Amino acid sequence: MNKVITALIAVVVLALMAWGYTDASHHSHDGEAEMPAVKEIIFEHLGDAYGWEVPFSHSKRIPLPVIVRGNDGAWHVFSSSRITGGDTFEGFKLAHGGDYNNKVVEVLSDGSEVRPLDLSVTKNACGIFISALVVCLMVFTLKRWYVRNGLKAPRGGKGMLELIVDFVYGDTIKPIMGAEAPKYAPYLLTVFFFILTMNLLGLIVIFPGGANLTGNISVTFVLALCTFLITNFTGTKHYWKEILWPEVPIALKCPVPLMPLIEVLGIFTKPIALMIRLFANMMSGHMVVIVFMLLIFIFTALFGAFAGGATSILSLILSLFMLVLDTLVSFIQAYVFTILSTMFISMAHVHEEHEA
Amino acid sequence: MELFTPEFGLVFWMFVAFLGLYFILSKFAWPFIIKSMDERAELIDKGVSYAQEAKQQLDNAKAEADKLLAEARGQQADILRDATKMRNQIIENARGEAAVEAKKVAEAAQLSIEQSRKESEKQLRREVSEIALQIAEKVLRTSISNDKAQQELVEKYLNEVETKN
Repeated sequence: MNKVITALIAVVVLALMAWGYTDASHHSHDGEAEMPAVKEIIFEHLGDAYGWEVPFSHSKRIPLPVIVRGNDGAWHVFSSSRITGGDTFEGFKLAHGGDYNNKVVEVLSDGSEVRPLDLSVTKNACGIFISALVVCLMVFTLKRWYVRNGLKAPRGGKGMLELIVDFVYGDTIKPIMGAEAPKYAPYLLTVFFFILTMNLLGLIVIFPGGANLTGNISVTFVLALCTFLITNFTGTKHYWKEILWPEVPIALKCPVPLMPLIEVLGIFTKPIALMIRLFANMMSGHMVVIVFMLLIFIFTALFGAFAGGATSILSLILSLFMLVLDTLVSFIQAYVFTILSTMFISMAHVHEEHEA
Repeated sequence: MELFTPEFGLVFWMFVAFLGLYFILSKFAWPFIIKSMDERAELIDKGVSYAQEAKQQLDNAKAEADKLLAEARGQQADILRDATKMRNQIIENARGEAAVEAKKVAEAAQLSIEQSRKESEKQLRREVSEIALQIAEKVLRTSISNDKAQQELVEKYLNEVETKN
């Protein structure tokens, strides 16, 4: 019975997901087999927005607060529903086209549009808060189990959580960091669960999910920045010595500081690689799914309804496959980010005696 | 390309959310969870080694018990053998003693028989001599009157004696 219910739920959810994508891709072509505006659709889905789509309806949006500081230095807070219709509110409106496409801009008295300091709680910001809340709930659920049940092994979902914690902490952080593991494990575990939650929420099409969080460079930038700061601020003297005066033939570092230059560059390339890797992986996953869906409409526009219908079957199968693959990628990327952060931090903690 | 340039507002909120999450979790959740998991792992390790030790001890105890049992069996067999030997010896001894006793009793009986026989012989002799004396006396008394009569008298007294005995 349970299996039947699970299968039913899975079918419904998958159908809704597919429908969501289809519906979302549908909006731009109301008439007869019109070529969809592929680029705009893709970027709209991957990018941020000031409102959140109501499930399965592209036109209705959940309004979110817009917080901007105008040119005069005053803060303006208003609902995004006041400007999403194309209206101007308190001198602010959504730009169309140009450098600030789909961003809030301030219209100055001379008619020019400037970008104000924008701290709006956008769809992505809201998604971040939801993810953080979900992570908090999960982790505190697990903690409460230990508080209440002592050393008994948790069952069900908590058991799975514990399995993941043990996998990340016991099998990855501990062997790499050794005695320092308890000090940095909270950061690394938080990173792992936060990324994982954001990845998985991004795969759910409807409301609490659907924001392309880890496929947004701002998000991965912050995560990589934290790892960068921890790595370099906790680095030992020996770590800096290896960067600024590495043990290489003197010709490589004395007249022209070639090796130190490369090493200093390495400080920055490592977190940048972290940032780009997560961002590119998650964004491309989303992009591929959308492109498969758009293929239906492209083929319909090019070869007629029959070709479109035939493509839709293939597209559905392929995008379903991509979503399943993305679920796997969500785990892998969260894990890769965590393990690389662990290694960067532990590599910054080298001591002389470890060298041999 | 807006996708590839970090947005200040989002960076700000992400920073706030991430740091908030980090401080909350690192203060209230992770250390406790890690500690609990480590403790449990330790407990399980201890439990396993304890169980192994207990099994070892049990095996040892069993072996010891077996050894003790075997020893006890050996002792039992020894005791039984000794007991049998002792019993046989006692019986043997008793038999010997009984034989000696019986011999003694028989000898005593023989002795007393001998004695009583000697006694009776002595008695007989005394009586015979007395009778003889009496006869002689009577013979002497009658011989004075008649030979024939004397003879008859002797005969008569002898008969008398014979019937008297």
